[in-house]
Amino acid sequence: MAHRYIKITLTASVLVLAFTGMLWSTLREGTEYYKNVDEVLPQAQQWTGKQMQLHGYVVPKSIKRRRDASGNITLDYIFKVQNNPARASDPGNVVDASYNGIVPDTFKDEAEVVLKGKLTPDGFKTDPNGVMAKCPSKYEAAEKSALAGT
Amino acid sequence: MASLGSALLLATFVVCSYAAVASVAGARRRSRRLVESGIGAFYLIAALMAAGSAVMINAFLTNDYSIKYVAHYSDSVQPLFYKITSYWGGLDGSIMFWVFLLSIFGSTAVYVNRERHRELIPYVIATISVVQMFFLYLMIVHKNPFTTYLRAAPAEGEGLNPLLQNVYMAIHPPSLYTGFVGMTIPFAFGIAALITGHLDDSWLRAVRRWTMFSWLFLSFGLTLGMIWAYEELGWGGYWAWDPVENAGLLPWFTATAFLHSVMVQERRSMLRVWNVTLVIVTFFLTIFGTFMTRSGVVQSVHAFGDDPILAKLFTGFMIAILVFSFSLVIWRLPLLKARNELDSWLSREAAFMVNNWILLFAALFVLFGTMFPTLSEAVTGERLTVAGAFFNKWMAPVGLVLLLLTGTGPLLAWRRSSLRNLADSFVWPVAAGVAAGAGALAFRIPIWPSGLCFALCGFVVGTVVQEFWRGARVRRKNTGTDLLTALVGLVGRNKRRYGGYIVHVGIVLIFFGFAGNAKKLDEQVLLRVGQEAKIGRYTIRNNGIKVSDDGQKQMTTAYLAVFADGKEIDGLYPARWAYRRHEQEPTTEVAIRRTPAEDLYAVLGGFDLADQSATLQLVVNPLVNWIWVGFGVMAIGTGIALLPERSFAFALAKMPAEAVTTTVALLLLLLVAGARPASAQPGMGGSEDTRSSYYARTPFEKQMQHEIVCTCGACGHQTLAECRKDNCSTSHQMRGELAAMIDQGKNHDEIIQSFLAKYGTEEMLGAPVDKGFNRMAWLFPYLIGATSAIAVGFVAVKWTRRHEPDAAAAAPLDQAIDERIDDELRDLD
Repeated sequence: MAHRYIKITLTASVLVLAFTGMLWSTLREGTEYYKNVDEVLPQAQQWTGKQMQLHGYVVPKSIKRRRDASGNITLDYIFKVQNNPARASDPGNVVDASYNGIVPDTFKDEAEVVLKGKLTPDGFKTDPNGVMAKCPSKYEAAEKSALAGT
Repeated sequence: MASLGSALLLATFVVCSYAAVASVAGARRRSRRLVESGIGAFYLIAALMAAGSAVMINAFLTNDYSIKYVAHYSDSVQPLFYKITSYWGGLDGSIMFWVFLLSIFGSTAVYVNRERHRELIPYVIATISVVQMFFLYLMIVHKNPFTTYLRAAPAEGEGLNPLLQNVYMAIHPPSLYTGFVGMTIPFAFGIAALITGHLDDSWLRAVRRWTMFSWLFLSFGLTLGMIWAYEELGWGGYWAWDPVENAGLLPWFTATAFLHSVMVQERRSMLRVWNVTLVIVTFFLTIFGTFMTRSGVVQSVHAFGDDPILAKLFTGFMIAILVFSFSLVIWRLPLLKARNELDSWLSREAAFMVNNWILLFAALFVLFGTMFPTLSEAVTGERLTVAGAFFNKWMAPVGLVLLLLTGTGPLLAWRRSSLRNLADSFVWPVAAGVAAGAGALAFRIPIWPSGLCFALCGFVVGTVVQEFWRGARVRRKNTGTDLLTALVGLVGRNKRRYGGYIVHVGIVLIFFGFAGNAKKLDEQVLLRVGQEAKIGRYTIRNNGIKVSDDGQKQMTTAYLAVFADGKEIDGLYPARWAYRRHEQEPTTEVAIRRTPAEDLYAVLGGFDLADQSATLQLVVNPLVNWIWVGFGVMAIGTGIALLPERSFAFALAKMPAEAVTTTVALLLLLLVAGARPASAQPGMGGSEDTRSSYYARTPFEKQMQHEIVCTCGACGHQTLAECRKDNCSTSHQMRGELAAMIDQGKNHDEIIQSFLAKYGTEEMLGAPVDKGFNRMAWLFPYLIGATSAIAVGFVAVKWTRRHEPDAAAAAPLDQAIDERIDDELRDLD
């Protein structure tokens, strides 16, 4: 019997070790920090270049689209994101952000956003499809869609 | 009305507690009368919840905005259908709907099993009642759906979110709830078996069907959710590993595991602890999923409401479930000892065990990934998230191993497979797999993971075909009929096994669809009018943007022409709709050109009316439609497995051999004929502007457009309001006539009369005029339905009844053949 238990224990520990090892290695590249603007900006140096999800609010009237040489509008967006909601008395830290692509319907002034991407010396560079926005005024509606998705 | 609803909820709570106490007390004192009264009270719960639901739906239908819930989730212009579905559109109502479903399912399960599993019933009632009490308690103290405005009630409701005004979204939640709630029944029987110590396999027989039924609805709900995400949300995919989606997937994994491991227990009396554990874990995960999505523990793109009170209540309940259930399991461990040991790793039970471990691992892994942000914050104080890519990386191999086992399991014998029979049974499936893999390589599909997936798909299909072929051949030899009859007879005799194989084919199709992802193309472009963009083999041209309004919403539509190989092959019309009172949340209307090989998918991301430019997301999704087809096949397989044991087999035995062949041939013909009109549609002529023509300006015009049918003959009798989607000049003209008549001030009857005069028949009416003989037309479908239901029932009863004198004469022969077939089939196992 003892022989059998040793075998089982050995197999189990090898499996667990292999699994943990794989999990560890994939988690290191698979995870991203989830940070608020205020947590990142004061130590901008330290966070530069790290993959993260940045949470904040779009600064009102800051969304602009670049035009190309012939004056036609493009999919390049630049905008600013602040730490606190737009109606708060103090906006908190503000960061410049850029994005190329289609933005969600809910991406607009004052919207609560989560941006996937990296902080660079020129501001926050958002990944393709990296803009997630919550609707600013219609909290109820947003909650409903969450429920229905269950 | 609101106070009546609240009173009903309170009454239900009281009756629930009585049902629980009376049935347990009755069981312990061996008082039949007390147990009977518990059962009666249990049925009463269903009646009370039905009454409560009626009150709620009535409030929605009568626009009773004094009830907060009604005011939040509906408005007066909402179509009738969505008013009813608003019942489960929000948190409070969905909990109530949950209890309602549970009471119905519970009553059905108790009614069906009250004689056969008499000793379990009291505890089943008690378990379900306690679960119901928890949810009723939630409603009564915290989330009462009948809460009213204390001061002035609003005159108009806020309306259901436009994103949810969609047929898929109307059916998706109840389907998923049915799956979730249905899992409570196996749990209740499991607990009852543990408490009473009746731990033989009888409780498993009682719950097998319930698990299958719930599993089917869970799968259906998940599929609908994917279709909804694909067609309505407009990001080009169908699964994003969002916590809300994962919540539905978790119990699906463990339920699938249970459906497999239950066979090992029936066959070999092994895995008994494991099966009880799986039932408990599945139930726990349904509650956990509800908790996760409703309490705000997990951050998601779907903005969740934070609800700490709800979170605390749920946490308490979940801890109670775990502690109580597993204490019972530990207490009963001596009774749960396996009677057999694993003989060999080359056996079917070993394959099932590996399949179970992997499914459970998948559940744990998804749970880990979903909770990772919360976990990491709790442990390190830093909130770290995992992206969809992380899930894909892990779940791809897991899925492939499962697919491999799907093909391997049926080829292995119970107990032990000899090398010779291994070689014998593996040759053809492996050949099929290699052929499929080679085919994938020829299309330059990367080996990992898609190429391997294709190969495994071929392998599993090879296995299933071989199983059917071998079974049918044996049966043909024994019964002397033709192959098709033998095949149907085979399925009829062993519905669960062959139904299961059909489910496997469905799974293969779904994986086939997933594998198509390898060749997915996704591009975002900005096109000014007349400009073109290339994606895959398609070229897309922007022909301009138009705005129209139908009274309920403003629609901005991009007109895109699709070219392939230098020829214009189709048009795509992605749009954005802004509903009244929801102008801030425009909905994206995706345009999809579907083919079996690939979907061309276009989303209008933004537009500029001044220069008619459109920002577009273009996606080519290969093989995606096979996922939906695969679910259909899965549903058919589950349906076969769920058929009652006896009636079908009797019916088969009585059927003359040729009848089956003829019926199947006729059915196939019907299917082919039915499929044709769908493919005939694109042939309709007309110019582009017919699509945006004559949107109803008034409710009256809208009503008229819905009453009159287009006579073009190509659209399959769509109404004037609907035929607009297709490029049809007839409907354009008819809508014009209608608009002119309305401008002339004609009323409903006059317009109908002049259309009748002009087009001759009543064919153009969407519904026959509701008077005189025409009423028959309304009644007809119901009559046919009712008659055939009665006829089928009559025949089934007749066939199922045993004829004593006849049986005496026929029995020896039948029995001998039956036994022989059973032996043959067993050999095949």
